[in-house]
Formats: sequence, C-alpha cells, structure tokens
Amino acid sequence: MGLFNTKNKAAGKPDGRVEGIAKVTGAGKYAAEYKVDNMCHAVFAGSTIAAGTIKSIYLDNAKQVEGVLDIITHLNKPAVPGFASETKLKETRFGLPLFHTDKVYFRNQPVAMVVADTLENATYAASLIEFTYQEDTPTVDFKKAHPSVPLKMQGKERGSLDAWSNAPQVVDQQYDIAAEVHNPMEMHATIAHWTADDKLVLYDKTQGVVNVQRTIAKIFEIPQENIEVFSEFVGGGFGSGLRVWTNGVGAVMAAKAVKRPVKLMLTRSQMFSLTGYRPAAWQRVKLGADNDGKFLGIHHQGKNGTSVFEPFQEGITSITRMVYNFDNLKAEQSIVPLNLGTPTWMRGPGDCTGAFAVECAIDELSYQLNMDPVALRLKNFAITHDPENKKPYSSNFIDECITKGAEMIDWKQRKQQPGALTEGDWKIGYGVAVGMWGAGRGNASAGITMEKDGTMTVKTAMTDIGTGTGTAMQNMTHTFTGMPKDKIKIALGHSTLPTAGSQGGSTGLSSISGAVSAVCDALKKQLADYAAAINPAYKDAKPADVLLSATGVSLKTDKNEFVSLADIWQKNNLTDISVKASSGPGAERQQYAFCCSTAHFVKVRVNTKTGKVKVERAICVADGGTIVNEKPAANQISGAIVGGIGMALMEEIHADEKLGNLVGNDLAGYHFAVNADAPIIEVAFINKPDPYVNPSGAKGLGEVGIIGCAPAIANAIYNATGKRLRDLPITPDKVLV
Amino acid sequence: MKPFSFSKSDKVSKALSAKKEAVQFLAGGTNLVDLMKKNIAVPDGLIDITAVLSDKVEAQSGSTRIGAMVRNSALATDPQILAKNPLVAKAVLAGASPQIRNMASTAGNLLQRTRCPYFYETSTPCNKRKPGSGCSALHGEQRMSAIIGYNDACVAVHPSDLCIALAALGASVNVTDKGNKQLVIPFKDFHKLPESTPDLDNHLPKDAIITSVDIPDNPFNKHFAYVKLRDRDSYAFALVSVAAALDLDGTRIKEARLASGGVAHKPWRWQKAEQYLKGKEANAATFHAAAAIVADEVKPLPGNGFKKVMLMGAIETALQHCLTA
Ligand SMILES: Cc1cc2nc3c(=O)[nH]c(=O)nc-3n(C[C@H](O)[C@H](O)[C@H](O)COP(=O)(O)OP(=O)(O)OC[C@H]3O[C@@H](n4cnc5c(N)ncnc54)[C@H](O)[C@@H]3O)c2cc1C
Repeated sequence: MGLFNTKNKAAGKPDGRVEGIAKVTGAGKYAAEYKVDNMCHAVFAGSTIAAGTIKSIYLDNAKQVEGVLDIITHLNKPAVPGFASETKLKETRFGLPLFHTDKVYFRNQPVAMVVADTLENATYAASLIEFTYQEDTPTVDFKKAHPSVPLKMQGKERGSLDAWSNAPQVVDQQYDIAAEVHNPMEMHATIAHWTADDKLVLYDKTQGVVNVQRTIAKIFEIPQENIEVFSEFVGGGFGSGLRVWTNGVGAVMAAKAVKRPVKLMLTRSQMFSLTGYRPAAWQRVKLGADNDGKFLGIHHQGKNGTSVFEPFQEGITSITRMVYNFDNLKAEQSIVPLNLGTPTWMRGPGDCTGAFAVECAIDELSYQLNMDPVALRLKNFAITHDPENKKPYSSNFIDECITKGAEMIDWKQRKQQPGALTEGDWKIGYGVAVGMWGAGRGNASAGITMEKDGTMTVKTAMTDIGTGTGTAMQNMTHTFTGMPKDKIKIALGHSTLPTAGSQGGSTGLSSISGAVSAVCDALKKQLADYAAAINPAYKDAKPADVLLSATGVSLKTDKNEFVSLADIWQKNNLTDISVKASSGPGAERQQYAFCCSTAHFVKVRVNTKTGKVKVERAICVADGGTIVNEKPAANQISGAIVGGIGMALMEEIHADEKLGNLVGNDLAGYHFAVNADAPIIEVAFINKPDPYVNPSGAKGLGEVGIIGCAPAIANAIYNATGKRLRDLPITPDKVLV
Repeated sequence: MKPFSFSKSDKVSKALSAKKEAVQFLAGGTNLVDLMKKNIAVPDGLIDITAVLSDKVEAQSGSTRIGAMVRNSALATDPQILAKNPLVAKAVLAGASPQIRNMASTAGNLLQRTRCPYFYETSTPCNKRKPGSGCSALHGEQRMSAIIGYNDACVAVHPSDLCIALAALGASVNVTDKGNKQLVIPFKDFHKLPESTPDLDNHLPKDAIITSVDIPDNPFNKHFAYVKLRDRDSYAFALVSVAAALDLDGTRIKEARLASGGVAHKPWRWQKAEQYLKGKEANAATFHAAAAIVADEVKPLPGNGFKKVMLMGAIETALQHCLTA
C-alpha cells in the first residue's frame, strides 16, 4: 500500500501545489523577506529570571553600539492606547502588555527592545543590556503544581456517576502529557511600516490577516481598514499563528518610536517562549462497561498548565462527548498557573490531549475484557447521532475508517496476548486508536478577476499555511466552472482581498469552499449576462447551466450555444470582469452535528535491551468528506502523523525547576520526529461528500490527523511489551526502567 | 554577536603566529559560529584555517593519517577508512546531519564543546562556560549528563561520535604548538576529565593547532559496531553510545575494544571489560558479563539512573552486532 489510495478513482491524479514552484525556487516571499525602504531592525532582550521584579536597567554599553536608534523598556515605552487600562487591555485579547510592567512572569519575557540600523547591531546591543532583579521563586513544574489545584465541573453532567458505580468492568487510570512546542520552520516575524500617522502596513507571519488587523487596530486605536496585512506565504503554523504575539506589537511600537519601518523576527530560542505551546496536561479517566464491553459511563478529569498572567484552558474533555455512545458522563477540568509563557492551540488542541487518555483507557478495557479493541470501539461508536446534543451527524464514517484501517495493517497478525510477537531483542506490537474533530465552517468571501484571455485569479484574504488552500481553491474553481486549471491563478493572504477568517480549527477549506462556489456562480451569472447580448439563449441562464472553457462559455444544453470570450469582451467593451461573493454556515448548523474522523493503526518494534521504539508502520484512514485534492490532503495527514509520533515518543519541553529556563530550547535540543523516526505513512480516505457541510462536501483534515495517533502508538507499545506507559513522551528510559 | 576581525591564513606557521588567546581558529564553523551567536564564545578575531591543513586521508607505514581538515562526510566515505577503519565511518555517520557533516572538520569534531543545556543557556551558572559560577546540571536536568568521571564542578559529557571510535582504535593527535614544535598526543590523553578546570575540555597546548589524527593499523575492520541510543533516530546527540570491535579467532575473542560516548567528560574506554573479553568465547553470556562489569563502574546521577541499564543494553547489542556485521 503506497501513500495514495490508488483504488480511489474519484479523487483523480494528484496535482502539485499552485505555490510549489514559488516555494522551492525562493520566489515566494515570507513575512521577513519583504524589502521596505529605510527599514531597520528590532531585537528583544529577554528576562533572565522566571519570576520577580526588575530593579534596575543599565543601557550605557548597549547605547554605544554603532547604529542603535532606540532602546525601549518599561521605563520609557511609547504610549500604547490599547494598553492604557485593564478594560482596554481585555478588549485587545493580547495578554501581557509588552513593556508595560516591571514584573517578570517567565524566562525570556521581553524586557527591552533595541532598534538599530542592522540586525547585527541590534542583536549585539541587546546582549549588552544589563538588568538587576529582585528574584522570586518560580513555579514551573506542572507535575508538582497541579495536585493542589482543584477541579471544576466542565459542561453539563450527562446522566449520573452513581448510575454506573457498580459497573462490572472499570478502568481508572491517570495519564500525563509533557508540554510540546509548535516551532514551525518559519520563525514568527513582522515588518511594520507606518505610512501615515494612522496608517500601517504589516508583513506578518500569521494564520489570519484579519485577526492581525483586528488586534493591532484595538491595541493602537486606529481603524482596522487602515491596516494592510501581507501574509502571502506562511512557513507552517500548527496554531502558533492564530494569535498576535509580541513580535507583532513590538515591531509596530518600534516603528512608531523611530519613525522608520522596523523588522522584528524572533530567534529560534525566543520561539520556544513567545509563541505558545501545547501545555502539559494531567488526566484521570474512569471508564465503566458491562461484561460485553458496552460503555456505561466515563468520568474524565483534566488539568493543563497556563501562564500566571493569562488563563488558557484546553478543551481536554470535549472529545469524550463526541465519539462513543454512553449514558453517563461527568467532566471536570482546571488550569494550573505556571511561570511560563502563555500556551495556545496546537494542532488538534484539546482533543489530541483528551484522546490520549480516553483511547488508552479503552485499550486497557479491551485487555481487561479480552476483547479486540477494534471490535470494542465498533460496538460503542455513536455513528448516527452526536451523543451530546442528539443531533444527527451530517455524515460520520468513523466505523468505515476503523474497518478499512484494520484491513490495511492486516490486524489479524496482532496477538491479543501482549508480548507474544518477538524477533531477537525486538518485541512487536499493534495498536489502534481513533480521533474526531468537529467539522466547522466560518464566513468567508472570495473574488474572481477574469481577463480576456480567460485567465482568472481567485482571491481571498485567507492564508495558506501549507495546508494546500490555494491548490484546493484552484481545484474547486475548475470543478465549479469547467475552466482548465492552468488558467486559474490564486491570490491569498492579503487583507485587501475579500475577507476571510483565520486558517485554523480545520475550518479553512470548509469555509472557503462556500465562498469559492458562490463566487464561481457569480462569475457564471455575470458571463451569462454578457453573453446574452450576443446569444439570447443566455438570457435567463442559471449559473448551474453555464460552463466555462479556456476560450468561451457554453450552456449545458444539446445546442451548446458557445460564445467566445473574445466576443463577450468586444461586445460589452470590457477590460476585465470582477466578481465577489460571500458565504457562510446556515440553518444546517442547527439541524446537524458535523464531524471528521480518523482511525490510526500502528505496528511498533520495541527493543528490550535498549528501550528503542521504532514505528514500523503507521496507517491513517480519514473521513474528511470530499477529498478536493488528494496530494495536499494526504500531506496534511502524514505531517500530522509525524507530529503524533513526536508527541508519543519524544517531544517534550520543560523548565529547570529552580532556574525556570527551558531546557534545550533549540531544534537540536528539542526532539521532534525527523524522517528517520517515521515510516512511509500510509494514508487512505473515505472520500464521501458530506451532504450538508458546504457546497464542496469537504469537512477539513488539518487537526484530526494527529488526534488519536499518540494513543495508537502507546497502545501498540503495550501490545508489544505488556508495559502500560501512561506518561508522554514514551522515551527509551521509560520503556527500560 | 560581538564584532570580530576575520582573516584567512595559507600556512600553518602564519596561522600560529597570528593566534592569540582571544583569536580563534575557524574550520567548518559548525560549532564555533553557533557558540558565537549565543555569546558563549566571544573571540575578538577568527583565523580561517581551512586552506592551511590537509584534507586528505593518507596511508602511512603502520597507520592511517587523517588530515585535520578532512570533512566528516568525506571521512565517512573514504575508501581507505572503509577498508581499514570502518568503525570510524560508522561513528561519523551516526552524528549530526549530512549538511553539518559536509562542513564539519576532523579537528573541529575533536574540539567541539559539550551539549549540556546549561552550557548553552548563558543566563544560568556553568563552570565550563564561566569558571566559578557553579554547575546548574548538578541539581538540574541530567538526561544528557555524565555517569562516570564527573565531579561537583561539572557533569557535562563530550558530545562527539567520531571521537568514540578514535578512542576505541587507540588513535593519536598530531599537534603543532605556538613555537612550531610538533607533538603527538595519544587519544586517551587528549581529552580530560573536569577536575578543577572544567572550562578546559582537553590537553591541547594553548594556541596550538591540530594538523592530523593517526589511527594505527589494527585488526578491527571485520567485527565492529557503533550503537548510538538517543531520543530520536537522527540529528540528536547520544544518551549513550558504544563503539565495539572484536578481533576473533574462530569464536574466541583475541582482543576487544569498547568505548562510550554520552557517559563522561571525555570519550571513555572500558578497559576492564576489554580485559575481561580477551580470550573468552564470543557469545551472549560473555557479552552480558562484560556489560555487567561496565555497569559496576558507573555512578549515575539522581536524574539519569536509566543510563546504566541503557548502557548495558547498548554494550550487549553492540557486541552482538560485531558478530553479524
Ligand atoms: C545541530 C548539530 C548536531 C550535531 N550532532 C552531532 C553528533 O550527533 N555527533 C557529533 O559527533 N557531532 C555532532 N555535531 C557537532 C559537529 O560534529 C561539530 O560541530 C563539528 O565536528 C565541528 O567541526 P568544525 O570544523 O565545524 O569546527 P569549528 O566550529 O570550526 O571549530 C570548533 C573548535 O575547534 C577549533 N579548531 C578547529 N580546527 C582546529 C585545528 N585544526 N586546530 C586547533 N583548533 C581547531 C576551533 O577554534 C573551535 O574552537 C553537531 C553539530 C550541530 C550543530
């Protein structure tokens, strides 16, 4: 079985990405690569303590460095209207106001910013600033801190805990997950250019240009439409680009202060502290079932770390309400303040964390029952209805996912008895787990400009963070209009283009597909109107009847009624045609529940002498509705699995308990999975259109690919060794000792 | 980073006369430049020595000479190395990434600094970086720390893979000192333990230059293995590594070599275990006993007790691989 499901004829031959050539040739510009006249550079100096108060700042050495234009600290910061009061600050939703306090809440908190003519001078000067602090004892160890934080009810209790207190089968275990960082390849960077007192141009690494406009507008109190944001190419995000961070605000502040365009790019180690992370989590899952494996109830408790200045709660227990049918559910959660930066959504946020505990607990139950874990899941899936709100699922093929995945990995090879398969020092095991994610959709707009030669540019403000949005837009436009793909160009990631939300939560494709469908209809309608001046058959043509080709339009009738673009242009005296349309979710959201899902199957080898775990096969079958373009879709899934392997086996960032510094905060010290750690990942799609989610039938795939991957690996390690490891990452020492 | 001067040298003697305490040699730059960016190394000047030193592997009588500027990637694919000292190639390929190996030189690899996370975090105490400031790892994160030969002043380990193979094979380092005198330093005496000077990693005389490394001809080109255990399969430093080599007479071990990385401030030879292996039958029981001898010698820190078990497993695995390689 290769990367692609070759039996799936409907998906067609995979295409390359529309932006592929620009990316690999370097022609595509990322935020920090724009050239702006007279630009200078800002660099942060970070705090060297994790908790305390700044006592004094000595700038003289730094000021003497050639080319230094300004040094900003809390003592001399320029006025930032959005930081002027608590109420205003709340509205900005920014978090800790930059340079507005003498308090230090975490290591590497920006406490000064040097602005200089060159990056080298700014960097050198920043290293020469000296601080004295009054130091407090930081709290950074999540495992030590969480037991003293009480839990609170999370959502409504379903049924009652008492109803299954005598369940014949109970699993009651605790699960831990270490904090992980996103650290996309492209580091967060902003170029800020005030073109007038109240006009700003930003080149920013973000997952949503509109969110940047909105946030910066609130902080600096200028009209949102006065801020132009470019984010045409984005080198990954994984959620870290869903907020505006200090690099954005710092660049804008600095540019105002020195009255020149300023670039601020975080260093790799600053990325670890200043752009969020998946917080460490503790969970307890108590799962009750009858002797046939029918689930009776789940009690799910979860806690996650956050910063001391901003509450961030993961939706750890949400997934427990979605996947399986059972009558009694109680969920409790709380957050644990730590002297670290603020965490944020990271791929599969919440559900990825929650699924680890629930999917491992179900696996534990399967061994207790001596029942195949696939059969156990199939017995309990909620296929037809969302078990929480009882709405029918618009479509839900999680059962097909797991059945197909079992076939692909040849699940029959698995032994129910742990430790039964051995090759020399290696033990071999198989594991399964599933993932689910709500299939959302937001409002989005798109535009098309068409030229006389048929070339059309489809545009939206939405960014493409590597998910293949642009490619999908090209495919959909081709499908909706009939225009050959080579005539369809894409423009993305610029705030003056038709507005659209951030690319996150797997809503990107779902949202934009409605807009693309609507704008294609608008174009066809417009062309039909123009064509009617030549051929009356077009007079009342509906968009669905109109077909485009490279040279003209025709009607889906026997007579075809071809009218050339050349004639349309001449007759109507056109230079180009521009249309715009918007679309969003509607009444279907009240009637249906929407989900996408994955089934993960892995085969691992575990070396009993060295503790090494090798993922030998990783299979993911996904239901993302219609697969608009198989290549980027499979790409999303395989990337997510690599992330899942990292989460399961190696990713971990933690702080020194006394000093509060993040240990190993670079890409050599922080271990994410590399190619050598991943097998060729086998991806298959159900590829059935969802009838209600949006006009394309595509439900989104970015998040759900990682959800369930780590527990599948942990479950496989148990199957191989008989050792149940409930503390991620499962590094070789945990396997051995 | 701090501004610095840069010059290129074309002769060893010229490079040496330009060398001062605050002026450093630059080879591949894969370690030094990183350290400068982090303000850990703050030289006033750099002398590019890539043109002054040999980048060739040459046969000598009784040994193989590796020029100081032989890049790691060239070393790993050199036909003489593959024929006579394939263990070296194995060890090199277990290190870094292809891009880094393309730049990294042989001498630079010997002189690379520790990867202790506190050495890299300038805002924390570290006796190696700032003598007298204390050792943060002693009561901190010890996953990458030593299990033998350390003291309260420093628990850092030497991070090299190449050096483990060179230690096992009894190499020596050819050096020219500031006064143009040529010295030969046996590999076992090249790197040092922390003692009271953890800021010094080795016994290279002040301002001296490494010109080449010699590996004596040896019978260890048939039965050898390099096992590196780490947190991911590539692009990670060793938790523990083992270079093993056997000279076999049928199934009997004539001589054995066993060295480890990730365990001490210097590449570590397990001489007791080597002695034990001599004359024994090459089988699982023997290998297990040798690993147990090693395990007896190590004293893990509170935070890295697992390394003892892991090291035993790595030694048994490496010795076993010697029979199948
Ligand atoms: C991300 C990363 C991962 C790595 N992983 C590994 C790994 O897994 N295993 C491993 O073994 N290594 C690893 N390395 C280290 C790498 O092998 C070394 O950085 C490299 O060998 C250094 O060689 P260089 O020529 O670049 O040295 P440089 O950085 O140029 O120099 C290093 C030091 O040696 C001095 N020097 C250089 N040549 C001479 C000479 N001839 N005489 C006297 N002094 C000299 C310099 O002055 C400097 O102090 C890794 C490095 C990085 C950056």
